[in-house]
Amino acid sequence: MDNRPVMTGRVQQDRLDRGARIARLLGAARQGSEDALGQIVTELSPLLWQVARAAGLSAGDAEDVLQTVWLRLVAHLDGIHDSAALTGWLVTTTRREAWRVRATGRRQIPADHETLDELPAAGPGSEEQVIVDDERRLLWAAIGRLSARCQELLRIIAFAPRPDYTAVAAALGMPVGSIGPTRGRCLAKLRALLADETGGAWRDAS
Amino acid sequence: MPGVTLPDADLPSADEPLDDSDFGLLDEIRDMFAAADPMPAELPERIRFFLAVRDLEIEVARLTAEQDELVAARGTEQSRTITFDSETLTIMIRIDGNRDGTVRVDGWLAPAQRREIELKCAADPMSVTSDEQGRFVFSRVPCGSAQLIVRPSGRDGAGRSVVTPALII
Repeated sequence: MDNRPVMTGRVQQDRLDRGARIARLLGAARQGSEDALGQIVTELSPLLWQVARAAGLSAGDAEDVLQTVWLRLVAHLDGIHDSAALTGWLVTTTRREAWRVRATGRRQIPADHETLDELPAAGPGSEEQVIVDDERRLLWAAIGRLSARCQELLRIIAFAPRPDYTAVAAALGMPVGSIGPTRGRCLAKLRALLADETGGAWRDAS
Repeated sequence: MPGVTLPDADLPSADEPLDDSDFGLLDEIRDMFAAADPMPAELPERIRFFLAVRDLEIEVARLTAEQDELVAARGTEQSRTITFDSETLTIMIRIDGNRDGTVRVDGWLAPAQRREIELKCAADPMSVTSDEQGRFVFSRVPCGSAQLIVRPSGRDGAGRSVVTPALII
């Protein structure tokens, strides 16, 4: 299992760099660079996968939808000028296409959180690993207590390049602040649930 | 400390800017979903491949059926049958393993027609032409990611190509 992410200035910087990198790739893709377009596909497909799966598609349908969405992006590239617009467009189009496929009624599965596999079990790990796994179980349970809308929003936002949170939330019909990215109702609710369960101790140590 | 109720003022507000704890939570949520519902690792590569062969005059065929069956006569040999549908064409293929590790792809087009068919895979693309019954065969295909392109039927390349999604064979 991955090391637990530690929020340092360095990590934050990497996140901001990710947004700048996508913006550069978008510029090159609009000039016709096949390679830049390919790198954007690699960068943002994990986000779109979660969008399609959160909409309740089977794995096979999710793959088809992603392929369709990327193909459609090529025809729309000229109208997309920045990274936030790109991410927003991709999320909106994936969601719409996922609904369309779902409406055809083929291979539907329930969208809900409980149908996912249990969190992968922790291997024999260090004491630190055990603490991390306990926290994860708490977090997983707390997410399960949020509304379906909040679950979908957080699942998708978590995969979005950080500078694009606002655009992605807006694409999901849940703006998180008109000026800068604010926490929003879903994250505030999640933190309240976690604080409740741990007597306010959640993550204070980090 | 169960039972301790925090004053509301200490609870994070929805209107505050995102802080490091929020980012930490989002990172953990991402890691959890990436573990619980991972995207197939080769999917971006398949999509890149698909975009690379796109052209404006294509019709995309959707995978509509797939089944594995044991070939009775040979006991343990596996055979896969896959069907793709597009607006104008149904493409059905059967994939059988060859002894040398390559695969044989037998295909049928419906409605039956003569078309040039290209198979793109990791190696050089291969081309065959279907017969009047719509049958075609690629007898030795190296395994890997492959995609079928049925070229336009009209003279002078008029009409549209039909492209299948890439599949692992």
